[in-house]
Amino acid sequence: MKKTVGFVVRHLVLTFLVIIWLVPILWLVVTSFSGYKGINTAHFFPETWSLDNYKVLFLQPDSVVQYGAWFKNTLLIAIFTCIVSTAFVLMVSYAMSCLRFKGRKGLMSFGIVLNMFPGVLSMIAVYFVMKSLGLTNSHLGMIIVYSAGSGLGYLITKGFMDTISTSLREAAWLEGASEATIFFKIIIPLSQPIIVYTIINSFLVPWGDFVLAKLMLNSGIATDWTIAIGLFNMLGKSLINKYFSIFCAGGVIVSIPISALFVLMQKFYVEGVTGGSVKG
Amino acid sequence: MKKKVLAALLATSMVAASLVGCGNSGNEAGGASSADNSTAADTTTDNTAAADNTAADNSAATDTAAADTSADNSAASSDDPVANLIAATTDTVKLTVWASEEDQALTTQLLEDFKAAYPDVTFDITLGSESESTAKDTILADVEAAADVFSFADDQINELVQAGALQPVAATYTLDVANENVAGSVEAATVNGTLYAYPMTADNGYFMFYDASVFSDEDVKSLDKMVEVAEAAGKKIAMDVSNGWYIYAFFQGAGYELTMNEDGSNNCTWNAAGATDVAQAIMDLYGTNVLVDMSDEEMATAIAEGTIAAAVNGTWRAETASDAWGENYSATKLPTFNVAGKDCQMSSYSGYKLVGVNPYSANIGWSMLLAEFLTGETAQTARFEARGLGPSNVAAASSDAVQADPAIAALAAQAAYATPQRVGGNFWAPAETLGQILADGSAGSDLQSVLDTAVEGIMAPIE
Repeated sequence: MKKTVGFVVRHLVLTFLVIIWLVPILWLVVTSFSGYKGINTAHFFPETWSLDNYKVLFLQPDSVVQYGAWFKNTLLIAIFTCIVSTAFVLMVSYAMSCLRFKGRKGLMSFGIVLNMFPGVLSMIAVYFVMKSLGLTNSHLGMIIVYSAGSGLGYLITKGFMDTISTSLREAAWLEGASEATIFFKIIIPLSQPIIVYTIINSFLVPWGDFVLAKLMLNSGIATDWTIAIGLFNMLGKSLINKYFSIFCAGGVIVSIPISALFVLMQKFYVEGVTGGSVKG
Repeated sequence: MKKKVLAALLATSMVAASLVGCGNSGNEAGGASSADNSTAADTTTDNTAAADNTAADNSAATDTAAADTSADNSAASSDDPVANLIAATTDTVKLTVWASEEDQALTTQLLEDFKAAYPDVTFDITLGSESESTAKDTILADVEAAADVFSFADDQINELVQAGALQPVAATYTLDVANENVAGSVEAATVNGTLYAYPMTADNGYFMFYDASVFSDEDVKSLDKMVEVAEAAGKKIAMDVSNGWYIYAFFQGAGYELTMNEDGSNNCTWNAAGATDVAQAIMDLYGTNVLVDMSDEEMATAIAEGTIAAAVNGTWRAETASDAWGENYSATKLPTFNVAGKDCQMSSYSGYKLVGVNPYSANIGWSMLLAEFLTGETAQTARFEARGLGPSNVAAASSDAVQADPAIAALAAQAAYATPQRVGGNFWAPAETLGQILADGSAGSDLQSVLDTAVEGIMAPIE
């Protein structure tokens, strides 16, 4: 009896929490399928349903909605940033974890301290540096900015690499392997779960970033924007009443690549973690 | 050994670079977090310092251009500055234009017309989108990176001028800006006696929309009468009084003043003797629960749902209202309201959209010519036809089609009681609070102290 009461109470609390968490998302999703254009807060579920909002997003771009172009821009920036910054993080982590050189400790602490400054602080300075290099309003510039400092976020990856037994590396070393061979043949295959983590993280930064993108892409040309700027723009005072439902549809679509990436990578992630623990 | 030295050098330079970066940004952000106003002031001083040079440069440039022109004139015996501009242009003219999202299609067309009007010149014009209501924020983020020609709402003009982001309209090519536009719009485009922008529309103010099946022509003359009629019909009237922009209508209408000082602070007499009657009148009106306080977005929903039959709002809401009310859709000037037994006409802010030219533009002459083209009579007529925006151009505004538009006609009727929006940033928050307190009736009986608090906040000095 006592058990059932506890069970019911627990599940009631959990249900309540689930409702709190899911209501905004549900609202976003149902509004994206609504038949009207602007905000209508009179009803939770729209009175008319349609797929028009999604149609506008992809098939009928107008001067406000250039979703296809934004999606392409954001995806390109995110993919390249992901590749470059994953490489940076892995290289720095390897150097910090597996190599021994003078000033390693000092450099490590310095990197951590530097990484703790919120990136927002240096944004204006970064903007003017990029402007003097002529890299504002350019996707290359965005990729550079997003990935340039990413090596400083090495701490977690380095911690993982520390758990890989040194005797493995020593054995390889004795067999005549170079640092590069050790890195590619031994460390990388053993670091799979943490690589997955790094990839997901470095993909998410440019994918969801708004502040830096808004600052850097300031030409006002809609086809150059990323999704975040474009969606924000739809919420402007004069546009929100025509574009709010389309904005919701855009918000739903934006979450798809992230979810896909996570679902795809999660398999490796779990495999890696369990595999690693057995070996460890 | 060599390798090590090189590595050390590289590392030091990298560290130095990152430290320098941190130092700079730290300062910036410190300023930003201390207070909005102070940063605004900071940037302004910075910008003016920076802009002084360029402004001087530019005026010098314009001067020389003028001198050149006169020289050319005597030589080529041409009196036409446009011809001289064309003659002086050898390269491709690169221009960036910012117009609001809704204006893109129209502006694209106008730009084609502009290119066609000067076939001898090669243009490379890029059109970007930037809403008039947020133009200031984007432009002030980096004036040099802003468009050559941009449109903005007239309440932003002071800050844009202070930041050196507007080229004075010292000379004109094809359009007599000061005389071809209505006086109010020219006044709105002028700062300290200098004309800084080209008026584009004259419809950014507010007025009364109503459903003619509920209210008669007579009813809409008095707000108190409207409340009575609406109550009988079971409908509501909406006005966003918890917004400084709208609450101004009551106090200004009853003769209490709000003006801006040179330094950007405000001067306000909303707590003078008798002002409590205005506050009481607002409280009484909202106390009926027939006149309701609604934000613009809520109003859009409520009009569409049919719960409200009249609303104080602007032309941007015209489509919603005419869709909902069909042939009963009407608009008129704001009504009178009763202050201690006396009927006072509600005032309003008139609003204009202006086109400005960036003083950092590489092609000032062509930018100015393009701004003239975008705000000329033809363009304004086209803008009215395409988007229903009220022209500021006198000739365009007097056309029959414009006169027949209910919203534009209502604005014209309201114009006699409207003032341009010249108010410092400290006005908005206290006015919003005041409006909220009065609308929900929580002001209590001591209205004088409520008004005193509000005025103290509104007149707070700029730090």
